[in-house]
Amino acid sequence: MALCLFCNAERREPLTFRTLLSPETEAGFCPACRDGLKRINRRNNCLYCGRDLSLLDQETVRDRICRDCVWWRKSGRNGLYVKNYSVFSYNEFIKEIINQFKFRGDSILADGFACDLRKTFQRIKKEHGTRTAFRLLDKMDASFIIVPIPLSAARLAERGFNQAEVLAEKMGAPVTNALVRDKHEPKQSKKNRRERLMERVTPFRINADYASLIEGGKVLLIDDIYTTGATIRLAAEALAQANPIEIDSLTLIHG
Amino acid sequence: MLLISRKNDYFPSYHLDMQRFLFGREFRAEELPFPDKVVKEHVKNGYVAVRPGIESLNDNIFDLLSGRKKWLCARCGNRDQEAFATCACSHCRKKCVYCRHCLTMGIVRSCTNLVTWIGPEPESWTCSTHNDVQLCTWDGRLSDDQNAAAAALDQALTARESFLIWAVTGAGKTEIMYQAIEHQLKKGKHVVLATPRTDVVRELLPRMRAAFPSVPISGLYAGSDDVRADAPLVLSTAHQLIRYSKCFDCVFIDEVDAFPFHFDPMLEFAVRKAAKPGAPFAYLSATPPAALRSAYLSGSLSGVKLSRRYHGHPLPVPRFHWIGGWLRAIQKGQLPVPLRVWLTEKMEQKRQVFVFVPSVTLSRDLTEILQREAFDRTVGVHAEDPHRHTKVADFRNGKINILVTTTILERGVTVPGVEVCVVGADDPVFDECALVQISGRVGRSAEYPAGDLVFFHNGKTLAMVRALGQIKQMNKEGAL
Repeated sequence: MALCLFCNAERREPLTFRTLLSPETEAGFCPACRDGLKRINRRNNCLYCGRDLSLLDQETVRDRICRDCVWWRKSGRNGLYVKNYSVFSYNEFIKEIINQFKFRGDSILADGFACDLRKTFQRIKKEHGTRTAFRLLDKMDASFIIVPIPLSAARLAERGFNQAEVLAEKMGAPVTNALVRDKHEPKQSKKNRRERLMERVTPFRINADYASLIEGGKVLLIDDIYTTGATIRLAAEALAQANPIEIDSLTLIHG
Repeated sequence: MLLISRKNDYFPSYHLDMQRFLFGREFRAEELPFPDKVVKEHVKNGYVAVRPGIESLNDNIFDLLSGRKKWLCARCGNRDQEAFATCACSHCRKKCVYCRHCLTMGIVRSCTNLVTWIGPEPESWTCSTHNDVQLCTWDGRLSDDQNAAAAALDQALTARESFLIWAVTGAGKTEIMYQAIEHQLKKGKHVVLATPRTDVVRELLPRMRAAFPSVPISGLYAGSDDVRADAPLVLSTAHQLIRYSKCFDCVFIDEVDAFPFHFDPMLEFAVRKAAKPGAPFAYLSATPPAALRSAYLSGSLSGVKLSRRYHGHPLPVPRFHWIGGWLRAIQKGQLPVPLRVWLTEKMEQKRQVFVFVPSVTLSRDLTEILQREAFDRTVGVHAEDPHRHTKVADFRNGKINILVTTTILERGVTVPGVEVCVVGADDPVFDECALVQISGRVGRSAEYPAGDLVFFHNGKTLAMVRALGQIKQMNKEGAL
């Protein structure tokens, strides 16, 4: 009997050929909890930050690009950073799950997102493969170096684990801890939008051991939530010193 | 005398703050507000004990051979292997096991240490000065039955024996406890009154405060703010006792059979852990669970049975009324006719009514229907309702006429003159216990000893028949 990771009720998966024939069901959420998660529609998301455009005021959107991304492009702080992919939109329900996952330390909840993260990662690889599809060999290059956003040592001690790293491990590819966060600063979630955007000095530093690995490769940054995009860009800024060809990011949630 | 003074000189001193903070309680090492060095010093000097949060349970040869490790959470007593998970832990740089069962109280990993006080007891609130003063200022009169029960309870607890009070709903269980509580407090004992429900704590707390005005009383429930570390009398939900360890000399458990208690073994573990070894337990219930009932009937647990209410009137006997497919009707937004007739009648008589329903969604739907059907001043409550406590308070004040509720209000709530109906009494949610408890809401006060009590159903269930049988049986015994 499979139980839902979050509400602990019996999962009661609808009977399909796949559920019937598969030897065992993967750990995950029950259909009721999955209904609470708001998936981002891939046909109507921002081409740069991956947010669900149907949630925005339509007047601020131009050519499927949201106003924030226009601002980022104008600010000139993008550098090698190209785009973000997200799986879910932020809502009250996912907030509860993330609270339990991140702040209470229930790291097994990441298993519930494993399937979605894996699929999204496959999609990103495919997308990047088709971008240069005319040269078949380029497909090989589409593999990413997966780099989770690190926590500062103090925060890591407090929380006991790095939520971005736990999520990154679920993607079915090797994880490279190429970044180090030196500065201990207040939580992003405790700052307002302006304070986040004003932060210009990157708290991240590249781990010298991995610099050679990153050079000439494509980097996929992993984090739990993308809100203003400030953290990701600061991380990308630090990574840029190792000369990768491109930096993208995958976050579980777009907030 | 000399020996004692030498002892005092020889042994290093301890922090009074730490003693007060840790005595009778158990915390995760990282929760302590003291510097590590001080804690270590106390451990070295034998005042503070440290033990791992997760224990390995591999006790028999098969476990060892199969190689699968089994775990036990030392804090909540969780043995369900499904409720353990592993995580990459940055403290010990290894894979750590953690308990998902008590996660809300702060995570317990296999590298977490639980810390408790094993040094001398702190000086508690002593009644030496109050020795000849009556602590309990409750001036009501107990019936003869109650008096006999109170005396027997007091005697058993003084002899440190467990005791069962099997009393019908509305027999005045709370008042029976007063005498025993007073004696225990006077002896300087720590007493806890544990119950499974927040509502019951909230109901009892003001009554206890009124009865024992000179005693500091601490009320613990999720979200409560009157926590006094050194109170000799603690009213608590079972959940909140998880942080306690070997603290209480005497434990009263009210409503032993109520929902989460027999459902969640963690709660029983928590209550047992909070008591000192050998502390007597007093169980109070109208419908004791099978284990206690058989222990009492076989004589291995002493106890007393009260089958008459404090005002001496018999228990109201439920009426069964068939209303057909209530579920479909409510889902369609219709009000079953007999229910409408009954409610209209009650509203004309200006009575307050509890309407019990089996589920949260039904409570919402039915409230909506009733409000639409011009039964004004109707409100629905359920467990997750943020305004639940204010709504119940409004009902008590008479601001609300009809309260549609799930089983959360089945016990501990006393509203004089209330009448009750159960919509969908044949639903499996309403077992025998629940129905007896619900029936017990009616006729509790001496001014209104009777009241209408209807089970609207779509086919009688065994639980309904048994509940009726139990009530009739109790009335028969009480009449003798």
